[in-house]
Amino acid sequence: MRDARVGGSPFARLSPEQCARVHEAAVGILERTGARLMEPRAVEILRHAGARTDGDHVWIPRELVDRALATAPRSITLHDRTGAPAMELAGRTFWAGPGSDCLHVLDHRTGVRRTPTLDDLREGIALVDALPELDFIMSLFIPGEVDGRLADRWQMEAMLNGTTKPVVMVSYEPSGMEDAIAMAEVVAGGPEAFGARPFVATYINVTRALLQGRSELQKLLWLAERGYPFLWIPVTSGGTTGPVTVGGTLALNQAGVLIGIVLSQLVREGAPIVVPGFGGDGLDLRTMVDPYAAPDARGPAGALAHWYGLPMFSLAGGSDGKVVDEQSAAEAALTLLVDAASGGQLTHDCGYLESGLTGSLAQMAICDEIVSWIRAATRPIDVSDEALALADVDALGIEGSFLETDHTLDRYMERWYPALFDRGSFESWQGHGATTLAQRAGERVDALLAAHEPMPLQPDVAAAVHEIVERAAEAAGL
Amino acid sequence: MHEDLLAAMRQSIADGDQDAATATANQAIEVGLDPLVAIDEGYVPGLSYVGSCFSSGEMFLPDMMLAARAMNAAMAVLKPELAKRSQQRSVRGRVVIGTVKGDIHEIGKNLVGTMLSASGFEVVDLGVDVAPERFVDAARENNADIVGVSALLTTTMTGQRTVVESLAAAGLRPGVKVIVGGAPVTRAWAAEIGADGYSEDAVGAVALATKLMEGAAGAAQG
Repeated sequence: MRDARVGGSPFARLSPEQCARVHEAAVGILERTGARLMEPRAVEILRHAGARTDGDHVWIPRELVDRALATAPRSITLHDRTGAPAMELAGRTFWAGPGSDCLHVLDHRTGVRRTPTLDDLREGIALVDALPELDFIMSLFIPGEVDGRLADRWQMEAMLNGTTKPVVMVSYEPSGMEDAIAMAEVVAGGPEAFGARPFVATYINVTRALLQGRSELQKLLWLAERGYPFLWIPVTSGGTTGPVTVGGTLALNQAGVLIGIVLSQLVREGAPIVVPGFGGDGLDLRTMVDPYAAPDARGPAGALAHWYGLPMFSLAGGSDGKVVDEQSAAEAALTLLVDAASGGQLTHDCGYLESGLTGSLAQMAICDEIVSWIRAATRPIDVSDEALALADVDALGIEGSFLETDHTLDRYMERWYPALFDRGSFESWQGHGATTLAQRAGERVDALLAAHEPMPLQPDVAAAVHEIVERAAEAAGL
Repeated sequence: MHEDLLAAMRQSIADGDQDAATATANQAIEVGLDPLVAIDEGYVPGLSYVGSCFSSGEMFLPDMMLAARAMNAAMAVLKPELAKRSQQRSVRGRVVIGTVKGDIHEIGKNLVGTMLSASGFEVVDLGVDVAPERFVDAARENNADIVGVSALLTTTMTGQRTVVESLAAAGLRPGVKVIVGGAPVTRAWAAEIGADGYSEDAVGAVALATKLMEGAAGAAQG
């Protein structure tokens, strides 16, 4: 497993006292206002546990929240496809990956924004598999040539075939999620093996903090029953579905998070739920776009998740810009840096442009470079005797050269060297074509794709996975 | 005549000032200004001004909501007066709106509804999670000119196609126009599913609906 610890003093946008205040506000919202849960089983489970209900309206008492917070796990380990531990979601760590379901690809070879194909999806997955700093995969693009209802199955099949990295999976209906998990179980060698070493976490977006949709709740119940990891992410948008202030939207959103924690722990104590490391965002009330790189709400949700000690899923690396340019690089760098410094754990959306509607492989390669830079900038500093090399200092004296010491020869590669950022002389840069970062990123994408061969699934396993896609197509009458 | 009053009406909407909108509406009644003139030459131009400022990025969504609220305040005063004079504000078109089946997001749809009715359209809002048959029934029952179908999710926007198809199967197309909207919706998608139009925002939706009504009128005459 990569050492993904973030060193130094923690960057926390909220103090512990402020976190307690937000938590209290969220608990109060659940007791006073309550929520509408559109899955009757969820309402029944809460009613049975002592919550007041009226139809689909549920008021959750503090005791249930306290009890659930006591059993929700503080650490979740995601494995890779081969069953080896790959990411521990706990403490001040930072793991990076792409986002899911872009409607467009910005083709780095032609500069054209167009509908993605299955080939784009497979290329993108192979790229993420090859990029050294990206730790997990998400589905990147919605392939245009498959039936929309089954796109989630095609995406899952492509991810399982194209990378060994852990998967954060998005599905539409609960049936799509069950198919995707069935594929993962086949790959793992059965439900038991998958449960013991899960390499797929299901991402569940919740409509609103206090209005939770049927399929969202059904997914939660199904996964919690099996003890499979999932991300419970209510979406509250400041100014529309929540108060316009960061704190107000954060507190309201947290009420929705707590509902997921309570439900999951009632279904199964210790059910592995991951909470948002982002929240408090607002719609851009000037353009009506949901921005991905807004500065306002950077950090507080992560601070809150750390205050609870719960595993978290963060959002950074995306841009609101339309092309790979100065804005996209700046937004990716700034958002990734704040989330890394906050210890954002599982951090998605590298490679996003156009507020999540377009994906770019060149932007993905730039994000990989940025993540690499940030890791070097936040890694704990070694001040051991060996690192300080005091013996060498003593031996070499005032004017000695450290260039040829064993210490230098052993450890010089601990320093960070760029893969994309240009540090050469002017003449060298000019001699290499006077390229921009975006051009070099595109070249790196092509070079990696030409050289990299993802580890394939065993043919019988790949066939069994594909059969699940075929069955779903048949059931849909396709 | 009444130029100052009409200007104050426009200004009340531009400022999103409910009290001023109510006061100018009352003033109109006092001085005997035709309420239809007050609406069409006073308040509506104010609303159009706010809409254009929003489109150009000079105003924000809350400014538009305030303007619509001020518009409603003025209408609340003027409606009884219209009734007294047996006048009716001409309906610019009848629009049935709703969010597609499987989707319970409503803010964008509500915003379009607010702007359309403030702009003189008659709006029937079917709410969220609306089955295609309900769009068809409501279009028929309300003699709709336009059906507006909202979807927020990439996963539910395919439902917009189903609504277009259902309206066609019920024999209501192309008489009933279909407009679509929602974050993932694009002009290309609208064209692909055979919808008559798409707009990025609520202001654009009013312009689109207006254009479609003009087109329909042209077609009826032609």
